[in-house]
Amino acid sequence: MGNWIIYVLNGLYYASFLFLTSLGLSIILGVMGILNLTHGSLFAIGAFVAAWLVGVLGPQAPITFFFVGLLAAIGLAGVVGLLLEISIIRPMYNRALEYQLLITFGALMLIEDLIKMVWGGTAYYASKPFVLMGQVPIFGQRYPFYFIFVVLVGLVAGLGIWLIMSKTRVGVMLRAVSMDREMAKAMGIRIGPLNTLAFGMGAALAGLAGALIVPTTPALLGIGMDPLIMAFIVVVIGGLGSLRGAVVGSLIVGETRSIGVVFFPEIELPLLFLIAVIILVLKPEGLFGK
Amino acid sequence: MKKKSPIGRRDFLKSAGTAVAGLGAAGVLGTSFTVKKATAAQTRSIPKTPIKAAAISFLSGAAAAPFGIPGDNAYKLCAEWINNHGGILGRKIELKSFDEAGGADTQVKLARKLIIEDKVDVILGYISSGDCKAILPLSDELGGLIIAYDCGTHVLMEGNRSPYKVPKYGLGFRSAAHLGIDNIGLALYIKKYFPGVTKIAGINPDYAWGRDSWLVFETAIKKLMPGVKVVKKLWPKLFTTDYTAHISALIGSGAEIIHSAFWGGDAVTFTKQAIGMGLFKKARMAYSRGEPYPQEVGMDYPEGQIICCAGTHYFLYPPADKWPLNKWFVEEFHKKYGKYPTYPCYHAYQAIFTYKAAVEKAASLVGGWPSQEEISKAAAGLFIQTPSGYLEIAEDHNGREDVLVGISKKVKGYPFPILDPEKMAVFPAHMVNAPVGIRTVDWIKSWKV
Repeated sequence: MGNWIIYVLNGLYYASFLFLTSLGLSIILGVMGILNLTHGSLFAIGAFVAAWLVGVLGPQAPITFFFVGLLAAIGLAGVVGLLLEISIIRPMYNRALEYQLLITFGALMLIEDLIKMVWGGTAYYASKPFVLMGQVPIFGQRYPFYFIFVVLVGLVAGLGIWLIMSKTRVGVMLRAVSMDREMAKAMGIRIGPLNTLAFGMGAALAGLAGALIVPTTPALLGIGMDPLIMAFIVVVIGGLGSLRGAVVGSLIVGETRSIGVVFFPEIELPLLFLIAVIILVLKPEGLFGK
Repeated sequence: MKKKSPIGRRDFLKSAGTAVAGLGAAGVLGTSFTVKKATAAQTRSIPKTPIKAAAISFLSGAAAAPFGIPGDNAYKLCAEWINNHGGILGRKIELKSFDEAGGADTQVKLARKLIIEDKVDVILGYISSGDCKAILPLSDELGGLIIAYDCGTHVLMEGNRSPYKVPKYGLGFRSAAHLGIDNIGLALYIKKYFPGVTKIAGINPDYAWGRDSWLVFETAIKKLMPGVKVVKKLWPKLFTTDYTAHISALIGSGAEIIHSAFWGGDAVTFTKQAIGMGLFKKARMAYSRGEPYPQEVGMDYPEGQIICCAGTHYFLYPPADKWPLNKWFVEEFHKKYGKYPTYPCYHAYQAIFTYKAAVEKAASLVGGWPSQEEISKAAAGLFIQTPSGYLEIAEDHNGREDVLVGISKKVKGYPFPILDPEKMAVFPAHMVNAPVGIRTVDWIKSWKV
């Protein structure tokens, strides 16, 4: 029983990361129709800035310093996202998908090189918060509180995005644009600033996810590739532009992986792709896609 | 260390020739005969230009911090020492570093350019087994000498069935032993220090390196300890950032010892997450190439973990008082880079000094600067002293080394756990390296235990 609870918690922890990463990707894809390959690089920016702040500037600093790192990651990734939208994404709105892929892939390479220029090719460690948060006993096993903290951050972020989307004017406009871009335009919604906002928001969420990962793994070049691929799987399963889709998709992927590793270790990764393939065949728009 | 004369062999013979020829004119015939003989033997010149050497390691990406950058630093340190001590036969080494990043295709292009356009004398490099497998065949195709310094796969130099023909590549070498010694060493160590163990598990990255390492370890441990049961085999993909599911699966499996060939960020990430989840209270790890990570993780690194050193490469072994070369290497490296050298640094030393020894041996045989083929012939069968002890380059062009295995322990005076001096075990080369021409797995299967 104890083991099972741990397996489920592990799944929740992983799902929380997936949710934060895929939600941003899903918003950008849903609202703006942009397939953003730089999403992994924005994740990497979050990871590097947080690891750098915690590891280099404040190795002896209290845990609160990590929260500064989280905010800095959200801020920097968000700003880079805004700049990307204004500079290279905007001219791509009316172009074919291939152009988006090419331009965002180019930007991905560019950001990787910029990260290398700023932070060098070495690893940044920031495990202090993971260690300092300690462990909680769960059915006779020690479980790191940090993992629970990440689940809580995922919940709060999800709740925040839900409130913005459903209770604010901007949120309603964003949803309107994602449902019918032309109609929203005809109704007098100014799409330009909304696009910039959506891109910045998605980028900030990726930055937050990146910052949350560095207490458990060093920030290295290429750290954003894996989250990008996993986020695509979640979006395929959950459906485009859907908050519910991101939640359910992340939970399915997170829990399948956690339990799959225990029982089918040989097909740990293929299992996730298999689910994505089944969904694509049976419900190509995803579980909650439109 | 004794400083070598900066006068090259040719310069020496020339000046000796002139002096003795003068004596010959004065009627000392015996001596003039010797001069003729020496002059006749001196058939080739030694170029005045520096030796062009390319050092290729990961300078960016996941393998840069743990391997590539320390390895590259060691190349620089060794080249500088050689240059300050007369170079190789009077020629200085002009060492240029290149990044191994970009995959095998990129590296193949780079190697072609280095050999054909830049006409380098030697390529010293490669950490990735995939890169080595793609590049060593180029050595014969392009006529360039390539010394692989770190890549660990045992299949690089082995044939498809035993016995196989050696050497596989005429101008391609690996100046270190392969992963066989690490994993056989771990199995021998477990048998020696933990004979009561019955449940073993493995967690290895899901690509050739992880699969090959596990194959050798599993074959060896089952041969040495037939009662052992493998209770879990996990294959996370390379560069996984979240091991929580795997750690829980390992805790649930009840394994007592868990084998792993993790490296770089994966080794650090797994260790840190496993500490947090209490894995080390239930089981101990056996890391096939774990030597660099206690220094990387620091005091948080758990005690009691079985660590192999990819040879006898360790900053405390052979001990400074018994092996001055290791003392020199450790002190110089630490002075320059602020860290103790790890196994890739020792591997870099082996590569550059294998080249030096091979050139010097070949030159003494041919009388002048040797060709690539002559250097290659001289390298096979070399036996050189290194900071870690002795290295043999066998006829299959592969290094053969002893292997050191130990167990992590916090000892006063070090900012990270070191190998417990009481529980270090060195398994000599003949116990961990398959005989030349026999595949490692076939050799293990033929053991009579």
